[in-house]
Amino acid sequence: MSTDKKSSNNTLAMTLLKGRTFIVLIVLLIFFSITADNFLSMNTALLIGKHVALYGILAIGMTYVIITGGIDLSVGAIVGLGGMIAGGLIQKGLTLEMFGVTLYFSVPMIVLITILLGAVIGAVNGLIITKFNVAPFIATLGMMYVARGLANIHSQGATYSDLKGYEALGNQGWSFFGSRVMGIPVGLIILVILAVIFAVLLKRTAFGWHVFSIGGNEKAAKLSGVKVNKVKILVYVISGICSAVVGIIASSQLAASHPATGESWEMNAIAAAVLGGTSMAGGVGTIGGTIVGAFVIGVINDGMVMCGVSEFWQMVIKGLVIVLAVIIDQFQRNLQAKMALQARNESK
Amino acid sequence: MKKKLLAMLLSMAMVVTMLSGCGGSSDAEKDTQNTETKDETTDDETTNDGKEEEAEQKVLPGGGSNIIYIITPSHSNPFFKTESDTAEAKAKELGYEVKTASHDDDATKQMELFENAIADKAAAIICDNAGADATIEAVQKAADAGIPTFLIDREINQEGVAISQIVANNYQGAKAIAEEWVEAMGEEGKYAELLGKESDTNAGVRSSAFHEVIDQYDTLECVATQTANWDQTEGYEKTETILQSNPEITGIICGNDTMAVGAAEACAAAGRKDIKIIGVDGSDEAAALIKDGKMTGTALQQCALIAEMAVEQADKYLKEGSTGLDEKQLVDCVAITKDNVDNLKTFVYKE
Repeated sequence: MSTDKKSSNNTLAMTLLKGRTFIVLIVLLIFFSITADNFLSMNTALLIGKHVALYGILAIGMTYVIITGGIDLSVGAIVGLGGMIAGGLIQKGLTLEMFGVTLYFSVPMIVLITILLGAVIGAVNGLIITKFNVAPFIATLGMMYVARGLANIHSQGATYSDLKGYEALGNQGWSFFGSRVMGIPVGLIILVILAVIFAVLLKRTAFGWHVFSIGGNEKAAKLSGVKVNKVKILVYVISGICSAVVGIIASSQLAASHPATGESWEMNAIAAAVLGGTSMAGGVGTIGGTIVGAFVIGVINDGMVMCGVSEFWQMVIKGLVIVLAVIIDQFQRNLQAKMALQARNESK
Repeated sequence: MKKKLLAMLLSMAMVVTMLSGCGGSSDAEKDTQNTETKDETTDDETTNDGKEEEAEQKVLPGGGSNIIYIITPSHSNPFFKTESDTAEAKAKELGYEVKTASHDDDATKQMELFENAIADKAAAIICDNAGADATIEAVQKAADAGIPTFLIDREINQEGVAISQIVANNYQGAKAIAEEWVEAMGEEGKYAELLGKESDTNAGVRSSAFHEVIDQYDTLECVATQTANWDQTEGYEKTETILQSNPEITGIICGNDTMAVGAAEACAAAGRKDIKIIGVDGSDEAAALIKDGKMTGTALQQCALIAEMAVEQADKYLKEGSTGLDEKQLVDCVAITKDNVDNLKTFVYKE
């Protein structure tokens, strides 16, 4: 694209529009700092970060999926199932009936198994979508029920409580993922690490480029040699892994894993991605934007609680913010198209 | 492309600034636990069933502000709305600022709300919790931050963490209404039972209390038992099925009012006015059916009274360092029948 001086005025407007979610975030922070007494403090900031971590991590995987033009409704259920599998491994171990033994794993092993489980479920999602040509909405909706059902079956609907581990079994230390390192919540640290890794993967690698190209125009991507099916399966694997990680953090924070954990969290993850500028039509999105989007939701959630806003109004306000963000998004896209047209005309 | 990268860097920078300069501070929480002693208070009830833990616990001063947090399941259920509203009114009357929140039966959300309350330096937390096991950690966290928690309506599986656990006496309530039902049945006949969610301890408690009373009479025979998961639609459908397979029944006992209302509707639709139905809870829907004669009775769980008690105890505890009462407290249910149903309105019973 050619750049000339005239459009620099417009580019300022564009920059403001592109940073709109960030601006919303700042406005919200100022608003709640004035209205809620104890809002403006390092403690509250860290707390919001900790809460954001849960669906922020889900939103990272979701962003990949949405950029390819898909959707993953099963993330919340995988959070629940992941937590139950991890909790079960700590409390009951893995019983192999044919050998008559019960295996107990160390915490790093349990983390690995849980993440692997998330990856496998993601891969199944991806396979169903690509090999059997099922719409992502339907495939992951089905997986949502299956995973939630399995989470309940695992313990007959009961909670695995007191997940502290046993010294004799050498599986202590599960509480680490819900604790703080030098005052910083571990969940938030994991969010930052994952955000950096996946932002680089999306922006700086061939794989990332393939993800965008599939969302932009799948047929063109296929014709230009992108292994569409493989890339699609991989994005669902990423989403599954992110969900399993959240399952680990959530069960660690509660020192208990409950089969209903993560119910409807997929909605928060989708909202965060959309707020961050990811287009539901595919082909557009950034991890950075998604993280800012997640923080907007987090600040609204925690801010309204500390303001004492009733739960019903919280829903209304959250919904309005999301829709408003998408309206501005459309506005920006129109402006962008107009500018591009203008630039082309002028260069002629 | 560059702009997007810039936006990402900005957000990262924001996260980093949020993180910087926050070393240390939070580790002070943990060692407060180890400081035992402090006022054992002249409480002669401490010998009751393993109350030692509470006596050892230090007095929690509150978070520093004048705010009471009231955390309950969603207010879309009138039971919890009444509970929350009553507690709010009482706390305001006693001069506290009140913030209410709903955890939607999501233990993770509940933990977040507790953390919000801690960050907000709450004086006390009143909570109808989201899980007997999954709540312990949240209550402990509040206690570590010096904030006392008063649990209402539902218990948790650990003592000595919360200051009070005030719950309705499900056992007594179910027995009381079962006695009324036996009388209405004329001490004889066949009946069906609708059970609540089996993972919920209350389902078992209520059922065994029903049977403790009913099984004394050989002339009363239970011919069908189904679980309807506390749910109205399921209660309706299960009752329809039972009426098909066992049309000879003349009574249905239900673990809660929601299922009982479903059962009553199914019986009305089938033109069976002779069937005596009871539930537990004391909802307005049940009250209306009792007035119409479509239900025999219900056991009112006095959630408004319980909520008021919790706020009063929180107030007393914050001022005097003790509630002067046991941690676990049972509040009797009131058997509601046609005779006294007019005294019942939105879970409040007035003589």
